[in-house]
Amino acid sequence: MKIGIPRALLWSIYLPLWKAFFNELGHEVVLSPPTNKKILNDGVTACVDDACLPVKIMHGHVIDLMDRADLIFIPRLISICPREYICPKFIGLPEMIRNSVAGGPKLLVLDFNAHKSIRHGYDGFIAIGRQLGARESAVRRALARAMKAQDEYTARLLGGSNPLMLLEGMALHAGIGGNKGTIGLIGHPYLLYDRFVSMDACRKLAQMGYRLIFPENILPEQIERTCSIYPKKLFWSYGKHLLGSGLAMLEKGMADGIIVLSSFGCGIDSFMVELLQRQNQRDFRIPLTVITLDEHSGNAGFDTRLEAFVDMLEWRDHNGHYFSPHGEGLYIC
Amino acid sequence: MVITFPHMGRVYISVKALFDDLNVKLVVPPPVSKNTLELGTRLAPEMACLPLKINIGNYIESIKRGADTIILTGSCGPCRFGYYGVVQKEILKDLGYDVNIVILDAPNTGFKAFIDKIRMISGYSSLSSLMRAFRAAFKVTVEVDELMDIVLRKRPREKHKGETDRLLSRFEHDVLKVHGSTETLELVAIYKDKISVIAEDEKADPVRIGLVGEIYTLIEPYVNLNVEKKLGSLGVEVHRGITLTDWIKTHLSMDMKYKRARRNALDKAKPYLGRCIGGHAWETIAATVGFNEKGMDGVIQILPFGCMPEIVAESIIPTISRDLSLPAMTVTVDELTGEAGYMTRLEAFVDLLSQKKGMVS
Repeated sequence: MKIGIPRALLWSIYLPLWKAFFNELGHEVVLSPPTNKKILNDGVTACVDDACLPVKIMHGHVIDLMDRADLIFIPRLISICPREYICPKFIGLPEMIRNSVAGGPKLLVLDFNAHKSIRHGYDGFIAIGRQLGARESAVRRALARAMKAQDEYTARLLGGSNPLMLLEGMALHAGIGGNKGTIGLIGHPYLLYDRFVSMDACRKLAQMGYRLIFPENILPEQIERTCSIYPKKLFWSYGKHLLGSGLAMLEKGMADGIIVLSSFGCGIDSFMVELLQRQNQRDFRIPLTVITLDEHSGNAGFDTRLEAFVDMLEWRDHNGHYFSPHGEGLYIC
Repeated sequence: MVITFPHMGRVYISVKALFDDLNVKLVVPPPVSKNTLELGTRLAPEMACLPLKINIGNYIESIKRGADTIILTGSCGPCRFGYYGVVQKEILKDLGYDVNIVILDAPNTGFKAFIDKIRMISGYSSLSSLMRAFRAAFKVTVEVDELMDIVLRKRPREKHKGETDRLLSRFEHDVLKVHGSTETLELVAIYKDKISVIAEDEKADPVRIGLVGEIYTLIEPYVNLNVEKKLGSLGVEVHRGITLTDWIKTHLSMDMKYKRARRNALDKAKPYLGRCIGGHAWETIAATVGFNEKGMDGVIQILPFGCMPEIVAESIIPTISRDLSLPAMTVTVDELTGEAGYMTRLEAFVDLLSQKKGMVS
């Protein structure tokens, strides 16, 4: 059977697992093309207005796959880590797609719920393997191999690589345009690793001569540790991931500047970015900018902001860190 | 210690009764106003949801009146409400306000911590007086909700327009002057009687609309631009999909009969949404189906802009509307919602419903 995997949301993190799992079970995997104008427009038209950009784009990818795949794989990632969630929209994703995409796409829904324990989460894979007609022993075998592929992938991400290099073969090594420093690029995987949505920010920054570090490069233990300053457990896995990796970059001085990409209307970012900015303002004072993306974002405006940020980083070095930020005099406290 | 809390509709009546009974000093924040909203909008993250912004406004207005401890309930996701306390604390800290925020998480996330917090904010009252005060406060909540049900029934039927609202606003004025649950209950009883006897127009046959959506937006009149009153004055009998009593029964009580009934109600959502996705999206879907069974003429969903769970519900409601041929409308509110545009949409919806009703009967 042909199983379509939309190149949207967390595909860039879990593709090795999903693809190996279906291949091991003897199914063909069809990927939707990288996000393009048509996919975006289809998604925006189908989806409710209030949803965020990544969810709209997901709708577009599903529409694209509708006549090319027998089943479209929709992961309902309720929780990927015990006692944590991702985002309410991820939990309601299959319902959103069923009700918004005309023509009744045939969905293969994976319920992944590790809220109780990680082991519980993988029961979802067993269930869809059975649904596809395989015996349980075969499904377990496939799952074990798929998890091995995923572990290798995760290890390479932690080793300093990123999905753009591993999945799309993009050359992002430092020094395309000289070696001026390091920028921490923080954002959800579906923004950072989608070249259409992120307006190719990664390539642009690399060309300007900066090495990039991503949240996927930061060790989970570091993230746990930096997030423990908050009195209450952060119950969004990706929220914690972004905030924790940002704090780790600040604390360890890994980056000369931090750019946060956020999608308009992202409920989790609204809180995480706020906490990160406040912490930075209090203790670290490293240049940090937030760029909000939505379906109306234009390339020119985006480039201007990137360039302005990079200019500011460079001038700051040049002027010996004496820089008057907006609204604050140098000699007036 | 002077306690304050964020506004949420008429929750202040119960909270005031509770702390009066416990003899703990309390500042009731001034009613949510334009000033509250402006304070909140300026200080809170731009993309945060509206309730957080209004909360911040409430806190600052209360701190100016002498409050030093803020109490707030919590949850553990996935809705953003669970992290309100932490973000708000950071904001107040950077503003230089030295206040203590006590987040009351559900007891199952740490029973001892929960009890300790309750003992602290209650001024270390004895357990028996605590239980008594909580029970009395719950009674107040139930009674006030009943009063509101009477109001909602009366508004479209009253003979002299505005009579119900005149009494209601006098009640809201008086209730701040009484002390403790006993006096509050007496006052509620008086107004229940007064409002019940308002003369009705016998010919009135109001359109019936069910309100569903995010709980805070439904309960706080300033945020929903007083939708109950607006609809009432358009001659609509409003039914609420969720009330404060429901919320307390769900989260704080052991009422097994209610829990079973709630389970049954939620099962109605099954064809569309079979699980909790945070916030009140599940309840929204279940209530929409439930309202159809109760023979409502239409349903209005209200959500604050960017509310994650309600967005999922928003995309499901059109399907329910088609399947059950139940007219439904979604209204998103935020700090920029204009009254005129909002009113036009309500009027248009009510017009459609009453024309439809006229044709059917």
